[in-house]
Amino acid sequence: MARREHLGELEQIVLLAVVRLRDDAYGVPIRLEIERRIGRTLTVGALYRTLDRLELKGYVTSWFGEPTSERGGRSKRYFKVRPSGLRALRASHDALTAMWEGLGPQVTRGA
Amino acid sequence: MAREPSRAVRGLLRIAAVRGSDAELGDILEEYLAAGRGNLWLCRQVLSTLRSHPKPATVDERKQAMLSNLWSDVRYAARIFRQSPGFAAAALAPIALGIGINTGIFSILNGIAFRQLPVPAPAELVSVHQQFQGVKQRRVHGARSLFSIPEYLSYRNGTQTLSGVMAYTVPWTFTLASETPREIEAVLVTCNYFDVLRVRPLIGTAFGSNCDSSNAPPTAVLTHDLWLRAFAADRDIVGKTITLNGQEVAVVGVAPDGFDGIDLMKAAVFVPTSLIRLVQPNANYMDDPQTSWVTLIGRRKNDVDITQVRAELSVLANQIDQQQPGRTTTLTVAPATSLSLPQARSDVFAVATVVLAAFGLVLLIACANVANLLLARGAGRTREIAVRLAVGATRGRLIQQLLTENAIIALTGGLAGSVLAWWSFRGLLALLLSSLPAEIPPLRIDATPNLSVFWFATGLSAATVIVFGLIPALQASKPDVQIALKQEAAITGRRSAGWLRGSLVGVQIAVCMVLLISAGLLLRALYAVQKIEPGFDYHNVVVVSFDKRWADSNDRAAAFRQEFNERVASLPDVRGTALVAKTPLSPGHHQTMLRLPGQEQWHEVDVNTISPEYFSLVGIPIVRGRTFARGELLDSPRAAIVTEATARRYWPAQDPVGRTLMIHVGGPNEEAQVEIVGVAKDAQVTGVAETASSYVYLPAGPRDARLLDLLVRSETDFAGFAAAVRTLARDLDPMVAVRVNRLEANLDFWRTLSRMTVGLSGSLSLLALVLASIGVYGVVSYVVSRRRREVAIRLALGATARDVQSLIVRQTLRPVAIGVVIGVFASAAASRVLQAILFGVSPFDPLAFIGAPLFLLGIACAATLLPIRQALRVDPVTTLRYE
Repeated sequence: MARREHLGELEQIVLLAVVRLRDDAYGVPIRLEIERRIGRTLTVGALYRTLDRLELKGYVTSWFGEPTSERGGRSKRYFKVRPSGLRALRASHDALTAMWEGLGPQVTRGA
Repeated sequence: MAREPSRAVRGLLRIAAVRGSDAELGDILEEYLAAGRGNLWLCRQVLSTLRSHPKPATVDERKQAMLSNLWSDVRYAARIFRQSPGFAAAALAPIALGIGINTGIFSILNGIAFRQLPVPAPAELVSVHQQFQGVKQRRVHGARSLFSIPEYLSYRNGTQTLSGVMAYTVPWTFTLASETPREIEAVLVTCNYFDVLRVRPLIGTAFGSNCDSSNAPPTAVLTHDLWLRAFAADRDIVGKTITLNGQEVAVVGVAPDGFDGIDLMKAAVFVPTSLIRLVQPNANYMDDPQTSWVTLIGRRKNDVDITQVRAELSVLANQIDQQQPGRTTTLTVAPATSLSLPQARSDVFAVATVVLAAFGLVLLIACANVANLLLARGAGRTREIAVRLAVGATRGRLIQQLLTENAIIALTGGLAGSVLAWWSFRGLLALLLSSLPAEIPPLRIDATPNLSVFWFATGLSAATVIVFGLIPALQASKPDVQIALKQEAAITGRRSAGWLRGSLVGVQIAVCMVLLISAGLLLRALYAVQKIEPGFDYHNVVVVSFDKRWADSNDRAAAFRQEFNERVASLPDVRGTALVAKTPLSPGHHQTMLRLPGQEQWHEVDVNTISPEYFSLVGIPIVRGRTFARGELLDSPRAAIVTEATARRYWPAQDPVGRTLMIHVGGPNEEAQVEIVGVAKDAQVTGVAETASSYVYLPAGPRDARLLDLLVRSETDFAGFAAAVRTLARDLDPMVAVRVNRLEANLDFWRTLSRMTVGLSGSLSLLALVLASIGVYGVVSYVVSRRRREVAIRLALGATARDVQSLIVRQTLRPVAIGVVIGVFASAAASRVLQAILFGVSPFDPLAFIGAPLFLLGIACAATLLPIRQALRVDPVTTLRYE
């Protein structure tokens, strides 16, 4: 089987949040979406470290929006998942699914 | 509602701003404000961004960050201006106006003094002028820095660094014979003129290489314009002859369309330098090594730079010096432009400096207006700035953003202004050139914008950013954070902001004062020029002049003139005639040298050759001695008359009548000893409000007869008399072109000059006044609007409208009054610069220095009272309820 790069857990979570948010995926809603869905609080720094890593790997692309006075004149940095990112997500999902397959309820439901 | 971050947290945020990205800090701020997060949350987020950038940014990363910040600032600024178009327009308009008019003036100066010549490869061309000492007798036509033909030949034959050296003169007036003889401007050139310039004639050829030799037939190259106007674009013109000053000249070519010489004055025809004999028959210009009359232009060879040319030509100059013991020559070698004469350049630059300074002052007022506008707007953005500072933006970053906004105003204003300049100045320049006196030949000034003009406009825009933008940016970037975050209403502005606004108003008023007083002085000078009595009687005097060199022999010309003069004198209503070489107040100087017996020193002196009737005709009394006697009218003068000022200068407290002096006449080494027979009263004959300190009259001999103008005192109407004179001349000789003008027209030259300067300075002052008034009005409106609550309270507590009015007026007029005082002192210094054109008005004329400040104070008072009155109309109760 060909060697593929798999996503880490946080990378998957962040990528999925970006996919969910479609055109409105920038720092604040990404963090809030993650917090809302899985109750995990990410710091701003941690989120951007992950997003930078994903961009370096070519899984997301980013661009700057309009600066606003609410942000003190700073622009928002929007993100979008690239096709390679979607492929990586599917691969990770398939890998996990394959690993979960056949495991009994004692794992899926907890002891 | 956001709580205020603690001081420690604020410090942490500032550190974070160095390392954290804009997006991260923006997110933190957005959530902090929108979701009401606490300080601890803020701290944690900030710390997380610190860890996210463990490595310091590389140079490339820093550069990229800076560019990305700059781009984001530009977009932010553009968004702000889109949201406030009124503010943008109010800021742009004065800047556009100020930069526009300065750029327009510079484009004219550029066209005159900096633009390269309109020929192929103009950067290779250099002009050469000389300054020399140790030469006793030099004849000058034009300027001392010009060369003689023998000197030109030395440079032409001796150079290795220049591929060609040619010489040319300023235009001389020739008479072109035709059905109606017309006067045209001819430039005399060496045979290689067109070759060195690389200008190919449209039809025919340029001059042959021996066009100047004594046995070569005279030739000419017409300009395209003359070919069209006078020869109906005759395609067979080459080989045909034209008659210039009575001499038949063969046409060898027609210059291309648009080429009419390389000087500011346009030429109509080009002829070889040897044809100087047609305009100066009594002198040997071609062979005389001591006559300055031609300019040198050379073309650099490839790979030779100007320093090498300078070095080589200095060596050649040295060789010329060695042939004339005692002479030392320094050369000025510079890139060739239309204005290469050093003296002319320094005169033009002197005028240009004054004009640009004046226009620059208007721009300064405009900048002060915009600065005040920005200060006012800055006060309204205090909360935004405070929040940014609170979450860690450095002051430097904020100043960068604010300066970027200001730069957009300046650059957009500069662009708009440049377009305005280009569009309006072409028309203005055409108007200016058309209103020049007729004595000045048509000028060639190309004021189309080029790279130099573009850089000037850009540099000016950048300077205005600093001038109007820096202080408001510094001011706005340090608001009190506590007040801003507590959303305190009705921020009246801190004391320092009020002081700053007041200072800006003061600066505007001071600058406006300088312009107004200058305009006032020039207006007084205009009045003086209109009313001036120059010390001679110019009413009902007509000047009849000929192209002096129309005939080819002295005898024929003398015979014509004698007959003509007698016939004119016998016309009806003619009260008297006289001959004169230089009519009073005509432009330029005729000069020669004089020396007192027993002294070595020669002195430069204005000279005029006249007939004995001159003094009585123009009403200049002889105060001692007598006028010339008939027996003294010889070709070589034996008598002279000096003016009172000349007598005081050379024979103080003595009677000069009967004394002798040596005077330079005719060619080099030709001196004459003359006896002073009379002293004439001083009169303003060389310039308005100017009495020459050295002025000598010489008697007109028979040789001079055909060169002199005829003054006629006639009681009849001018038009009828002029027609009669022209008919008379045509009857005697149809080839003669005669000019008939009123002597008063010479005064008109000075009056036109004065009118133009007053018009210019008057418009500038008006503009300055309007801008300054808007500035004062704007500041007062702002202050009044901010103090509405205070005013309402005072009124409610029983103060009268008058009390409130006088309180605000007193405070507002303080900077105005200070500005006026400073302006008056500055004007006193500046008015010395104008002294040369104030025509008899004192540079400290009391009427101007009192009238202008009063006028400005009146305008400032009106600008102050208007917004106060408007504010007082509102019911105080309504105001308090609203506030």
